[in-house]
Formats: sequence, structure tokens, C-alpha cells
Amino acid sequence: MADTVQEFVFNLTFPFSRTLGSTLSTFSSAIAQGQIIGVRTGGRVIAPPLEYDPDTAEDSGTDWVCVGPKGTVSSWTWVPEPTNLHPLDHAFGFAFITLDGADTPMIHIVDAGSESAMSAGMRVEAKFKAPADCAGRIDDIIAFVPASDPAPSEGAGEPFEAPAENEITEMDAFSDLRYIDNASPTTIMWAEALMEGRIIGQKCPQCARTIVGPRGMCSVCAIELDESHVVEVPDRGVVSNFTIVTPTPYPGQTETEPFARCSILLDGADAVIAQQEILDVPVNEIRVGIHVECVWAPENERSAKDIDNRSRGSGGDIIVGWRTTGEPDEPADRYLDRMM
Amino acid sequence: MSHQPVAIVGIGQTHHKRKRADVSMAGLVREAAQRALEDANMNWSDIDAVVLGKAPDFFEGVMKPEMYLADALGAVNKPMFRVHTAGSVGGSTGIVASHLVSSGRHKRVLAVAFEKQSEGNAQFALGGGKGASIGAGGAFAPFIRSYIQRSGAPEDIGWMVAVKDRLNGAKNPYAHLKLADITIDKVKESPMMWDPLRFLESCPSSDGACAVVFTDEDGGKAASKPPAWVLATAMKSEPGWYSGRDPVNPQAAHACAQEIYKAVGITNPREQIDCAELYVPFSWYEPMWLEAHEIAAPGEGWKMTQSGATALDGDFPVNMSGGVLSSNPIGASGLLRFAEAALQVRGQAEDHQVGGAKLAIAQAYGANAQFFAMWAVGSSLNPLG
Repeated sequence: MADTVQEFVFNLTFPFSRTLGSTLSTFSSAIAQGQIIGVRTGGRVIAPPLEYDPDTAEDSGTDWVCVGPKGTVSSWTWVPEPTNLHPLDHAFGFAFITLDGADTPMIHIVDAGSESAMSAGMRVEAKFKAPADCAGRIDDIIAFVPASDPAPSEGAGEPFEAPAENEITEMDAFSDLRYIDNASPTTIMWAEALMEGRIIGQKCPQCARTIVGPRGMCSVCAIELDESHVVEVPDRGVVSNFTIVTPTPYPGQTETEPFARCSILLDGADAVIAQQEILDVPVNEIRVGIHVECVWAPENERSAKDIDNRSRGSGGDIIVGWRTTGEPDEPADRYLDRMM
Repeated sequence: MSHQPVAIVGIGQTHHKRKRADVSMAGLVREAAQRALEDANMNWSDIDAVVLGKAPDFFEGVMKPEMYLADALGAVNKPMFRVHTAGSVGGSTGIVASHLVSSGRHKRVLAVAFEKQSEGNAQFALGGGKGASIGAGGAFAPFIRSYIQRSGAPEDIGWMVAVKDRLNGAKNPYAHLKLADITIDKVKESPMMWDPLRFLESCPSSDGACAVVFTDEDGGKAASKPPAWVLATAMKSEPGWYSGRDPVNPQAAHACAQEIYKAVGITNPREQIDCAELYVPFSWYEPMWLEAHEIAAPGEGWKMTQSGATALDGDFPVNMSGGVLSSNPIGASGLLRFAEAALQVRGQAEDHQVGGAKLAIAQAYGANAQFFAMWAVGSSLNPLG
């Protein structure tokens, strides 16, 4: 089956957001103004500040301290070939930098030109974005660069007067995750059968349950099932239960109107195919007991590309949906308990 | 195997809201933990181990938050455990923490469970990042339709639960929803969300956390406030989907209940248990779970709701705190149930206190109604005398 998919690429993207709490809001609002701060707690200055003392978990308080913009590298590693996920498009160093006025190091990047320019003990200074571009994020500091003058930072260690209200209290945290999943043998089996216009399951020899969408095992008996347990099930059945979903908006939502998903008890098979769409019944008329038959995509339009390991039992683009057969409804109470 | 008695000596929770814009994730869990430590008259340094629970990391988009939160919860140089059993995780978190004490391994253990749902979107996460997510309501609606049909319950039972739990929530200073003016009419006129579930029969989406401090028998006896004693715990799992599975009446629910009742010596749950916190994210789960946990006979659960038995002044109050229907930081929701049961037997539930409660149960469930957690707590180690 040339068209069968062997691997799937997933792209999960979502604009998460973070509320910062008072300590990180103070830090973010200060950095947006070009000032890096720390907090004095437990007899030392932690920079960037934490809302708790990491050693004792006690509240770290609000004894803010100005730190930097210069500091000293204590340890580093070189990135010779950055990817598009790295902060710079040319070679740079990740480094622990203890800012002047601070007692703990922070992680940032050093744009030193070459690895040979890096050393533990080197003096560096923060290079900020233009003030208008600063948003209160750690990358408002584009990078640390070798300090032109190793002398201590002016004002480092002085108290920082926080404003009564912080300007920045939230932060976007856009997530973009891409990964590849290989098709399992049972997924390939399922997709190949669908391409041929057949719905298959595996019948457990011990409990006689038929699992539509083969899984390679019976999850009740915990025994392996293989190709010898594959059975073809009818592409006709009765709606046994359903859900009507009022869609709520979210990034990536494809639905705007209420939609129905049905469980269908397949004729004579004692097997349910779940999460199916009925094409010719309005959502508000979906009911238990309707006789339906599968609507297959024309053979030359079938594609297995939307069938993956997770959507077991899904017909992808191959099963377009189901339509009524016109037979009289069955009594609901004979079917309703077959949600699965 | 012998077990040491376990006492609950500290309980804390955050104020739950749709969005806790005033705190970071660390600040949220610390708010609950600090309240629990204060209640226990303890400091961070008194704690020997920390157990953290929450639902899928995809809800907030912070992977393995236990790493980020270890020092925020005072776990430096101490054991830290992460628990995840979907919606039941709060219950499982409390149970795992109690076992660290009952096994004799640790003397004082802090359990914390949380969710900061406003940082992401639960429908998106439950839909695997795709469109047309059916969400929890869409997954459970067929189960509820099946329950209604087989029990013969009248349609207003769900509305009654929705009103009762919100009136209880209005008495709980920490609850997210405080709908003191809710009525049956308002519930039945609210929009249909997942037929047959209406908007007001559904749980909110909340930011919140809950924390519980566990200690051993000596610690319980020395506590400055009355402790709650953990009398029995149970966790059971089953496959989420198999041909012919009946998720209205899961085996795992029955097995949890039977184990708990046997361990405590409960032969008549309705009579002997003073009150219960059950995981009811959608109204109809109250009668369903009363039956599946063998408090009511099959088909009889809705009659307890209808008669008012499950109201705060009834003979078997359920969800005195307002339940999941009033506050739902998903990962914390189970521990909030378990903590409320403990508050009740400690006599510290204030306006939502059941007078003289000596024996209470709490339950949580998760995923496709396949993970169950349950415990019984008492005002003494032998509340049945």
C-alpha cells in the first residue's frame, strides 16, 4: 500500500502565558528600564531575584539591590554552530555570570566573537536592546559582551527603589513543539484496511471482545493479539450514544458551531466505533437508535495521512462520515449503554 | 505488613479564581503550602519529604514543573515525588504522601497539588492540540445520558446538584464560584454545553492549589489543633476503553469503595459515614458516584439528591466545600476533596461544617473515568467505636 503513512509529524503550538507574581514583576519592570536587580536575603544578594530563598524556602522579601550591568564569568560553554532556536545566529558562549553587587551567578550568553576570547574570570557587560524594544524579558539583554573597562559597575549594590505598581505583570510563553512518531504495525494494518474500504478489529480469543481499530492486545485480558486475530466488521450499525459539543474558542480550534460525535454499535459485531460524525442528521436531531452506514471517500481520493497512532479507530479522511439508511429507529434503551 | 497511623495536622489552600494574576506558579503553590505549615505550627525545615501532584503538564506548558518548584517547596536536600493520575491526581498525591508516613520512612510529609489553568487552555490540551476537542464534558456526556436512562432519574436531579454545590461553595471563603443567588431556573435556562449538560451544571476552570501536612502518631497526638486520622486509602485503575466497558459503573470505583469500607469496618456506608467529598465536575456525577461507590443501591443515588439527603443539613452531606462545581484547579481538585474531608472531622470547616462529623470519605477520579482514588478520615483512629 504505497499511500500508507509510515511516520507522522506533529506540530504543537500554543501561546501560553505566565503571571509573574510580585518579585518577578519587579525584576521584569526594572529590566525593561535597563536596570538589573537582585534581592538581598539570607545574608547574600540573589540575582535575578527569586521570591523564596532557594536554600530554606523562606520568603526572600523585598530588599531590592541594583546589580550589574557588568559582571564576571565563572563558567562557560561555547556554541560553535547555533541552530535557529538559539538566541544568536553566530557562535557564542553560554555562561554563568555573577553581576557586580550580586553573590549568585545568572545564566546568559556572551557574544565574545571567538571561543579563545572566553575565560573564567573574564569581565563582561550587558548590552541592552534599544529602550523602545525592551519588554521586560531576559532577552532585553541581547548578550553580554567583553567589558570595555573592567572597573566595577557604578551603582552596583545600591538599594533599588521599586515603583508602587509594577508595569509588567505577565509574560507570553509561546510554545512550539515538533516531533515525529512512527506508525505502529497495528496503525499500518488499520490504515491499509481503510484504504481498501474495510473496517477491521481484533477479536480476543479469551474474552471474545472485538476491538475496532486493532491495538495488538486485549486491554482486559492483557494478552497479545496479532494478524491471526484480525476480523472484518460491518460498515453499518446503530447509533448507541453521542455527545454534542458546544465548541469554545482556543488557538487551533476548527469548530465554531455545535457538533456531534457518535458511538456506533456495528451490526452483528458486538463492537463499537467511537467518535464518528453523522452527515445527514442535523445536530439537534441526533438520537440513539438511528441506523447508519459508512460513507467512504472515493477510492482515488483516499489518503491515510491523517491516521496516526493516537487516533485509533478514527477513519481520517477515508471515512467521510456516516449516513442514515432509512430503516426505522431501534429502541434507545437497547443501545444506550454501549458507549464503548 | 504493618502500617503506622497517619495524622493530618495541617491543611491549606489558595483562594481559587479563574485567573490568579497576582502570583507566579511558585507563588501559587507556596500560598497553599505556607497556610498548611502555619496550620500545622511547622516551618519549612520541619518537613522531611515533599509530594507534588498536578494534571497534564500541557495545561500550563511547563514540562516537569516539579523541577522548577523543588526549591520553592523547600525540597532542597529532601526527597521530592511527582504524582500524575489525571483528574484523580490530587487524591493520589495525598495518598502517596500518607504512605510515606504510614511506611515509617518519613515523619512529616508535605503534599501539594495545583493547577494554573489560566496559563493555557484545558480544551486545547485535552484535544491533543487539535481542533474539535470534545473536552471532559463531551467525553462524559454519553455516560450521563446512559445513567439517566438506566436509573430513571427525573431531569431536574442534575440541576439540584448544581444549585446545592454552589450554595455550599458560597459558604466557603476559598471557593472560586460563590453563586449565593443560584436557582434551579437559572441552571435549567443556562446554555446547553454538552447535551444533556448545561453550563451551570459544569465545573469552572480555576487557578488554585491545596496542601496537606501528614505526620505520625506521636506528631498527631502532640499537634496543637485536632488532627484528622487517615483510616484507609485506596487507588485503583482500569483500561479507559474496551468493548463493552461500562464507565457509569466502573469496577475501579467499586473496588476502591469496598477496600475502604472493609479496612475501616464500614458495613452501612449511608449510616456510618458522616459526610463525603466526591469528585463531581458535572452535576450528574453526584448520583452516579453515590451508586458506584456503594453508598446508594443501583438506581437509588438520585433519590438521595432529590430528598435533600446530600445537602449540608441532610443525613449524608456531599461536597460541603462546594466541590469541583465551585472550584476546579484540575490537579488540585482531588486533594481539595481529600482535605475537606479532613477539615470536617477536625471540626474546622466553619460555615460549611457538618455538626459532629467523625468519619468522612473523599474520592477523586480521572481520565476516561479510569483512575480512582479514595480515602476515609476520622476524628480518632476508631471513630466507629
